[in-house]
Amino acid sequence: MALTKTSKALMLLGQCVPSVKQNASKIRVKRLVLDEKLLMYFGEFEYYYAYDPGKICKTGDMVLIQQLPEKLTRLITHKVLEVVYPCGDITDPITGKEVVVGKYRDEIEEASKLFGESEGRFKYDKAPKRGWQEDKKDFTHRETYIKYHVFENDDQPYAV
Amino acid sequence: MHGVGLMKVLFGNARLIPSAVAVCDVYANSGGTCKELCNNPYIYQVIRNYAFKSDLKIKWVRPPKIPSIKPEKSGDLVPLPPVDKKQYPLEFQNSEELKTADELVKRVFTLEFFPRRHSFRIVKCNMMNSVRRHALDMGSSESKIAQMTADIRNMQQIMEQFPKDKRRKVKLKELIERRKKWLKYLRIWDYRRFEWLLEELGLVYKPPPSKFHWITRKDSLRKLTDKHCEEVKQQRLHAYRASLEAQQVDFLRTKVQKLQWIRKEEEECGVKPTVTEKDIEQALKQLKELELSKENRLKDKAD
Repeated sequence: MALTKTSKALMLLGQCVPSVKQNASKIRVKRLVLDEKLLMYFGEFEYYYAYDPGKICKTGDMVLIQQLPEKLTRLITHKVLEVVYPCGDITDPITGKEVVVGKYRDEIEEASKLFGESEGRFKYDKAPKRGWQEDKKDFTHRETYIKYHVFENDDQPYAV
Repeated sequence: MHGVGLMKVLFGNARLIPSAVAVCDVYANSGGTCKELCNNPYIYQVIRNYAFKSDLKIKWVRPPKIPSIKPEKSGDLVPLPPVDKKQYPLEFQNSEELKTADELVKRVFTLEFFPRRHSFRIVKCNMMNSVRRHALDMGSSESKIAQMTADIRNMQQIMEQFPKDKRRKVKLKELIERRKKWLKYLRIWDYRRFEWLLEELGLVYKPPPSKFHWITRKDSLRKLTDKHCEEVKQQRLHAYRASLEAQQVDFLRTKVQKLQWIRKEEEECGVKPTVTEKDIEQALKQLKELELSKENRLKDKAD
């Protein structure tokens, strides 16, 4: 009953979760549902597949999706409009400065300048874009599973 | 329902047992009668819902258990680097007295004659220096993770020597878990820094699976069977596609011939032709393209 309400909404804000689809992203949308007996709201998740041929959103990004006028496939019902908050790369909407948790990035840099910057520290201007460690050292773009079998010609990178 | 009627004959008006109903339903649908069912003593062996054994020859190999403290499980790709034993420990490195001391004293003050922890202190310091923001940085997430990584790798080395050291094992496990938690935080706080740190320290980060379950023979065999079925399905689909594609050229050739024949007949009979020249040309074009692509594929295979 309540489920139909969100799917009728024009645009939805959700988080991208790992999926193996080639031209689409899996988006998790949270909605608060009222429990009439407890008179309390509880979060519930709905999953949508959004058409995303350029793969603009990555796992963990908060994205805006819009319903397609027609279903593209049995699963793909939405399309990705834009990435609102890229995961781990947040810009404060009020000041327009980049932030890390509770601090501005330039303030962090200034603080380390006061103490004397070290040579091997992380530099934002020289760091490559997100995704260069995918499938090498960072395996968060795919869902992992518990290893259940030893395959001969497969080292199973996504097995834990 | 036929099946339920059968049940009444069998058990009178006793309670209906769901599995027995299912058996009777299947039997009734196959056209059997009650008498046959009663005379056939093997009926319950035909349908085996439990204790079912698959005919497929899938061999399951249980993955070996890797303890959580081992580097391959904790995500450490590189071991601790070796230390140059000819240098002084950290606290004596800037000592003025050692510079003017006797050669023998100097030698006694090298790491060779100090306990292991003094060498490790240097390695840990180097590791932190490679990632820290400034000389006094002890609290940033990257220097914390570097510190933990050094400790973890040190303890892993010690655990190799003394595998029965249970206290150290527990400490090590907890430290690995704490580092994983910090990596998880760093990933959502600052993704690029997280990736850079993985590269610097030689770590692998894998997210935990969404649901925990024990590995059992039955469950694993089910997964393997599903996988096998999927493979068989794909194989057959590919074979079917190939067989259809093999017929395409012949089909188009006959199509062109028949279209030409129809057009000719209609023209001879004086009727307005239903087949245009365009249709024939299009079919011919398709045929040519198909033959070209086929030749190309053969050439690629030969190369």
